[in-house]
Amino acid sequence: MAEITTSKSKRLFTTAGIIFLVLGIALYFLKAPMGLNRKIYDLPIFLIIIGVCFALKGFMSANKPNNELERVSFGEFLTNNAILLAMLVLVVVICILQPRFMQIRVALDILTQSSTKLIMALGICFTLLIAGTDLSAGRMVGLAAVVSASMLQTATYANRFFPDLPQVQLWMPIVIAIIACMVFGALNGFLVAKYDMHPFIATLAVQVIIYGACSLYFDMPPNNSQPIGGIRPDFAQLGQMRLFSMGRDFPGISILIPIAAVICVIIWFILNKTVFGKNVYAIGGNREAAVVAGISVFKNIMAIFILASCLYGIAGVLEAARTAGATNNYGNGYELDAIAACVVGGVSLNGGIGKVSGIIMGVLIFTIIQYGLQFINVSPMWQQVIKGVIIAVAVAIDLTKYRRK
Amino acid sequence: MRKIFMLAFILILALVSCSYSQENITIGACIYRFNDAFMLRFRNAMQAESEKSGAKISITDGQDDQNTQDAQIDEFIANGVNVLIINPVDRMTSQGIIDKAKSANIPVVFINREPTPEMLNSYERAYYVGAKAEESGTQAGQLIADYFKAHPEADKNHDGKIQFVMLKGQNGHQDMILRSKYSVEAIKAAGFEPVEIASAIANWDKLQAMNIMNAFIMSIGPENIEAVIANNDEMALGAVEALKNNDYNKGDPALYIPVVGVDANASALDAMDKGEMLGTVLNDADNQGASAVKLAAALASGKDINSIGYTITDNKYIWIPYQKVTRGDK
Repeated sequence: MAEITTSKSKRLFTTAGIIFLVLGIALYFLKAPMGLNRKIYDLPIFLIIIGVCFALKGFMSANKPNNELERVSFGEFLTNNAILLAMLVLVVVICILQPRFMQIRVALDILTQSSTKLIMALGICFTLLIAGTDLSAGRMVGLAAVVSASMLQTATYANRFFPDLPQVQLWMPIVIAIIACMVFGALNGFLVAKYDMHPFIATLAVQVIIYGACSLYFDMPPNNSQPIGGIRPDFAQLGQMRLFSMGRDFPGISILIPIAAVICVIIWFILNKTVFGKNVYAIGGNREAAVVAGISVFKNIMAIFILASCLYGIAGVLEAARTAGATNNYGNGYELDAIAACVVGGVSLNGGIGKVSGIIMGVLIFTIIQYGLQFINVSPMWQQVIKGVIIAVAVAIDLTKYRRK
Repeated sequence: MRKIFMLAFILILALVSCSYSQENITIGACIYRFNDAFMLRFRNAMQAESEKSGAKISITDGQDDQNTQDAQIDEFIANGVNVLIINPVDRMTSQGIIDKAKSANIPVVFINREPTPEMLNSYERAYYVGAKAEESGTQAGQLIADYFKAHPEADKNHDGKIQFVMLKGQNGHQDMILRSKYSVEAIKAAGFEPVEIASAIANWDKLQAMNIMNAFIMSIGPENIEAVIANNDEMALGAVEALKNNDYNKGDPALYIPVVGVDANASALDAMDKGEMLGTVLNDADNQGASAVKLAAALASGKDINSIGYTITDNKYIWIPYQKVTRGDK
């Protein structure tokens, strides 16, 4: 059986990178004269980007000390990266079926749609790291969306949620919405930490409570369960603004992408550089050992659920801003997508294992597959089937890896 | 002589009391659930009409529970109301309500949720007031057809066909099936050839519709989409947000795709005022409420029901048409 050693893989990456780079540059200059503009779109630019990434990866690992002992058989390499490889095959198929997929604006659109999902996944990963879960996440998105949107309508809108509310400062309703989520997050944490309830049941109960409470709020007269609209432009900008836009040439980068990036950095810092982050891994890895080591499980679990709910709140506010509206049904089922993305990104449901980089990969893989299937107009029923298969395969791989260790 | 006087006196008394009771009709109305936005408008229209005509109406909240509503109907009958207006919680259990009204010999008018024809036919004084669901689809299609008649340049590729995108509600929902089908039929009936270039289920949801529409704009190209038909306003608004993100429907007539929905909710009217959305279709609660009360009052007082100003079909139904709403006529 073929084996991939680290030095081999370094060479592999460097050569592949250079090949992609050369091919990309060549295509970039040949595209127009060969009349391929409407056939390959921005493919050359993608090739250049991929080439640079590969070459950099090869170059970087060349500078690291050699570790020839780390050998991975070719079969193991395939199973470990099955989802990633499946996604690459799918992307190639989609590009052949619908060349429009090879556009920079499509890639940016996928990143935009990933942003709110990523923020949610980063929240939920904390609860997964302690071998728990959080089923209330999606409903918290709905709660934050409804609460923030209800207080941020234009003065002239015919069907205002609070007809007499003055035009308040933008940050106030946002903070109120996020705090509302954090209150329920604290309830999650309290039930889990105080009564040692399984997070599945505790958060299921809170999920139902949140949806009920949100529906009651949404149903208050004079709104009576009407979808909230007439969102203030300054609030909508928070989700719709595009940076560096250059008319028809470049659609611009959605503001959601830098927001998600900043949150990624913060969460990475919390998980890797703070005592709290170390405690999260410790509790997830071996709870008894953590208790013996003097870690306050109660405090940490409370903090985990409150921090997670804060992130769901942010995601909910951004969803309301992006769509310029809200109903109590926003975010329905998001928690399952977020959990699935975490699992695909290598977060173990047994707790203690998971990295921010993996979660980013997981969310991107999930969004690309979902977006791609929609792109070539695959029936929604088939999309569901494929989604389910991805989750099952990802967990199966996760468990085989876990057993090997 | 005295006997004749007495008889005349009793006759006059009877006549007076009879005409007196005509003035004082009591209507017992049951709504399936008070906090339903559409039924709220319906209820207000009934209240307004009964104030105008001088009939007394009392309206109860069924709290989305058929047992609660049954108890309310029993109470109305015990209190001697002259006529019932019923918005059943479960339309398939309407036979029990009809039997109750029949044994008490009071007329009953069903609203909004239609009992089966067999049920209505089992009692000659049972009626139904409502709208035909397929009409909402027909009118949404007509809005698109009318737009293409007035704006030939909307046919961007000049092939004489309408390339449209359809955003559908929850799979299997009756409104989703009827609206999808009849909007296309209406475009055909107006002499255009509709071509569905893409369709997707967005579950009545703005967010899902926005994401899906975004993917369609990228994969099909906005220049190739000539119209967007959504099963409701929320999904139409989701499509509008996606279009706006791609610089469409922001006021430049060269970058415009007509979008239609159904419901005429406040956000849709707002978007139409801004020129972001072409039109919507309104389920006319005002006329449904008014006609239900007029029919009930006529039935209770024994007046000719054909004189109330609404057409009665098959001596059982009043069909109130949906209304097209476009920019400028909020």
